[in-house]
Amino acid sequence: MAPPVAVSPLIKTARYSALIAGIIYGKRRYDTLKPIAAEERRIEEEEKKVREEQERIAKQLAEANEDTILK
Amino acid sequence: MAQAVQKLVAKVPTLIGAAVTYSKPRLATFWYYARVELVPPSPAEIPKAIEGATNIIKGFQSGRLGQTTVKDALRNGLVATEVLMWFYIGECIGKGGIIGYNV
Repeated sequence: MAPPVAVSPLIKTARYSALIAGIIYGKRRYDTLKPIAAEERRIEEEEKKVREEQERIAKQLAEANEDTILK
Repeated sequence: MAQAVQKLVAKVPTLIGAAVTYSKPRLATFWYYARVELVPPSPAEIPKAIEGATNIIKGFQSGRLGQTTVKDALRNGLVATEVLMWFYIGECIGKGGIIGYNV
Protein backbone atom coordinates (compact mmCIF):
# COMPACT_ATOMS: atom_id res chain seq x y z
CA MET A 1 0.00 0.00 0.00
CA ALA A 2 1.27 3.44 -0.79
CA PRO A 3 2.05 5.52 2.29
CA PRO A 4 -0.52 8.19 3.09
CA VAL A 5 0.15 11.55 1.49
CA ALA A 6 0.86 14.61 3.63
CA VAL A 7 -1.92 16.94 2.54
CA SER A 8 -1.02 20.63 2.37
CA PRO A 9 -2.56 22.71 5.18
CA LEU A 10 -4.15 25.04 2.66
CA ILE A 11 -6.17 22.19 1.18
CA LYS A 12 -7.12 20.91 4.61
CA THR A 13 -8.35 24.27 5.83
CA ALA A 14 -10.15 24.88 2.54
CA ARG A 15 -11.92 21.51 2.76
CA TYR A 16 -13.14 21.88 6.29
CA SER A 17 -14.10 25.52 5.92
CA ALA A 18 -16.06 24.57 2.81
CA LEU A 19 -17.77 21.82 4.81
CA ILE A 20 -18.72 24.16 7.65
CA ALA A 21 -19.81 26.85 5.20
CA GLY A 22 -21.97 24.30 3.45
CA ILE A 23 -23.61 23.18 6.68
CA ILE A 24 -24.39 26.76 7.62
CA TYR A 25 -25.68 27.55 4.13
CA GLY A 26 -27.87 24.45 4.06
CA LYS A 27 -29.35 25.16 7.47
CA ARG A 28 -30.01 28.83 6.63
CA ARG A 29 -31.61 28.05 3.30
CA TYR A 30 -33.78 25.37 4.87
CA ASP A 31 -34.95 27.80 7.53
CA THR A 32 -35.76 30.34 4.83
CA LEU A 33 -37.63 27.92 2.61
CA LYS A 34 -39.68 26.26 5.35
CA PRO A 35 -42.11 29.11 6.11
CA ILE A 36 -42.45 29.88 2.41
CA ALA A 37 -43.50 26.31 1.73
CA ALA A 38 -45.90 26.32 4.68
CA GLU A 39 -47.47 29.52 3.35
CA GLU A 40 -47.84 28.03 -0.11
CA ARG A 41 -49.46 24.94 1.33
CA ARG A 42 -51.92 27.05 3.28
CA ILE A 43 -52.86 29.06 0.20
CA GLU A 44 -53.22 25.86 -1.79
CA GLU A 45 -55.56 24.45 0.85
CA GLU A 46 -57.77 27.52 0.77
CA GLU A 47 -57.90 27.67 -2.99
CA LYS A 48 -58.66 23.98 -3.09
CA LYS A 49 -61.60 24.48 -0.77
CA VAL A 50 -62.95 27.30 -2.92
CA ARG A 51 -62.44 25.26 -6.05
CA GLU A 52 -64.16 22.20 -4.62
CA GLU A 53 -67.09 24.32 -3.54
CA GLN A 54 -67.44 25.69 -7.05
CA GLU A 55 -67.11 22.25 -8.54
CA ARG A 56 -69.82 20.99 -6.23
CA ILE A 57 -72.14 23.76 -7.29
CA ALA A 58 -71.33 23.18 -10.95
CA LYS A 59 -72.02 19.47 -10.55
CA GLN A 60 -75.32 20.10 -8.92
CA LEU A 61 -76.30 22.46 -11.70
CA ALA A 62 -75.25 19.95 -14.32
CA GLU A 63 -77.23 17.21 -12.65
CA ALA A 64 -80.24 19.44 -12.39
CA ASN A 65 -80.01 20.41 -16.03
CA GLU A 66 -79.65 16.95 -17.43
CA ASP A 67 -82.92 15.60 -16.06
CA THR A 68 -84.73 14.48 -19.09
CA ILE A 69 -87.52 12.10 -19.55
CA LEU A 70 -85.33 9.92 -21.71
CA LYS A 71 -83.53 8.45 -18.63
CA MET B 1 -45.06 -17.26 4.78
CA ALA B 2 -44.35 -17.14 8.50
CA GLN B 3 -41.79 -19.92 8.16
CA ALA B 4 -39.98 -18.05 5.38
CA VAL B 5 -39.85 -14.96 7.57
CA GLN B 6 -38.54 -17.04 10.48
CA LYS B 7 -35.81 -18.56 8.33
CA LEU B 8 -34.83 -15.11 7.11
CA VAL B 9 -34.69 -13.75 10.65
CA ALA B 10 -32.51 -16.71 11.68
CA LYS B 11 -30.08 -15.88 8.88
CA VAL B 12 -29.65 -12.25 9.89
CA PRO B 13 -26.82 -12.84 12.45
CA THR B 14 -24.84 -14.78 9.84
CA LEU B 15 -25.36 -11.99 7.34
CA ILE B 16 -24.24 -9.39 9.84
CA GLY B 17 -21.18 -11.50 10.70
CA ALA B 18 -20.31 -11.83 7.03
CA ALA B 19 -20.72 -8.08 6.49
CA VAL B 20 -18.44 -7.33 9.45
CA THR B 21 -15.77 -9.77 8.22
CA TYR B 22 -15.96 -8.22 4.77
CA SER B 23 -15.74 -4.64 5.87
CA LYS B 24 -13.12 -4.93 8.64
CA PRO B 25 -9.99 -4.92 6.42
CA ARG B 26 -11.48 -2.24 4.19
CA LEU B 27 -12.31 -0.09 7.17
CA ALA B 28 -8.74 -0.64 8.38
CA THR B 29 -7.31 0.62 5.06
CA PHE B 30 -9.68 3.56 5.08
CA TRP B 31 -8.73 4.44 8.64
CA TYR B 32 -5.03 4.05 7.81
CA TYR B 33 -5.28 6.71 5.13
CA ALA B 34 -7.92 8.88 6.74
CA ARG B 35 -5.95 9.27 9.96
CA VAL B 36 -3.29 11.18 8.04
CA GLU B 37 -5.10 12.68 5.08
CA LEU B 38 -8.58 13.55 6.27
CA VAL B 39 -7.90 15.06 9.68
CA PRO B 40 -9.00 18.65 10.19
CA PRO B 41 -6.12 21.16 10.29
CA SER B 42 -4.64 21.71 13.71
CA PRO B 43 -4.53 25.33 14.92
CA ALA B 44 -0.80 25.43 14.13
CA GLU B 45 -1.47 24.71 10.49
CA ILE B 46 -3.88 27.55 9.89
CA PRO B 47 -1.17 30.26 9.55
CA LYS B 48 0.54 28.00 7.03
CA ALA B 49 -2.69 27.77 5.12
CA ILE B 50 -3.05 31.55 5.07
CA GLU B 51 0.55 31.77 3.90
CA GLY B 52 -0.18 29.32 1.13
CA ALA B 53 -3.17 31.37 0.04
CA THR B 54 -1.13 34.59 -0.07
CA ASN B 55 1.51 32.72 -2.08
CA ILE B 56 -1.07 31.86 -4.65
CA ILE B 57 -2.31 35.43 -4.83
CA LYS B 58 1.25 36.70 -5.20
CA GLY B 59 1.92 34.15 -7.88
CA PHE B 60 -1.17 35.32 -9.70
CA GLN B 61 -0.06 38.95 -9.49
CA SER B 62 3.48 38.24 -10.63
CA GLY B 63 2.28 36.22 -13.57
CA ARG B 64 3.94 33.05 -12.32
CA LEU B 65 0.66 31.22 -12.53
CA GLY B 66 0.73 31.60 -16.28
CA GLN B 67 3.73 29.28 -16.34
CA THR B 68 1.93 26.25 -14.93
CA THR B 69 1.88 23.28 -17.23
CA VAL B 70 -1.41 21.92 -18.46
CA LYS B 71 -0.88 18.78 -16.42
CA ASP B 72 -0.37 20.77 -13.26
CA ALA B 73 -3.32 22.98 -14.05
CA LEU B 74 -5.57 19.96 -14.53
CA ARG B 75 -4.38 18.45 -11.28
CA ASN B 76 -4.99 21.67 -9.39
CA GLY B 77 -8.41 21.96 -11.00
CA LEU B 78 -9.28 18.47 -9.79
CA VAL B 79 -8.18 19.31 -6.26
CA ALA B 80 -10.20 22.53 -6.35
CA THR B 81 -13.26 20.63 -7.54
CA GLU B 82 -12.89 18.20 -4.67
CA VAL B 83 -12.72 21.05 -2.19
CA LEU B 84 -15.87 22.56 -3.72
CA MET B 85 -17.69 19.24 -3.42
CA TRP B 86 -17.16 19.30 0.34
CA PHE B 87 -19.35 22.42 0.33
CA TYR B 88 -22.21 20.46 -1.22
CA ILE B 89 -21.75 17.65 1.29
CA GLY B 90 -21.99 20.25 4.04
CA GLU B 91 -25.15 21.60 2.44
CA CYS B 92 -26.67 18.11 2.43
CA ILE B 93 -25.86 17.77 6.13
CA GLY B 94 -27.30 21.19 6.89
CA LYS B 95 -30.54 20.67 5.06
CA GLY B 96 -31.08 17.20 6.45
CA GLY B 97 -31.46 15.24 3.24
CA ILE B 98 -29.65 14.23 0.11
CA ILE B 99 -31.99 15.34 -2.65
CA GLY B 100 -33.84 18.57 -2.18
CA TYR B 101 -35.12 20.40 0.82
CA ASN B 102 -37.85 18.61 2.76
CA VAL B 103 -39.97 21.63 3.55
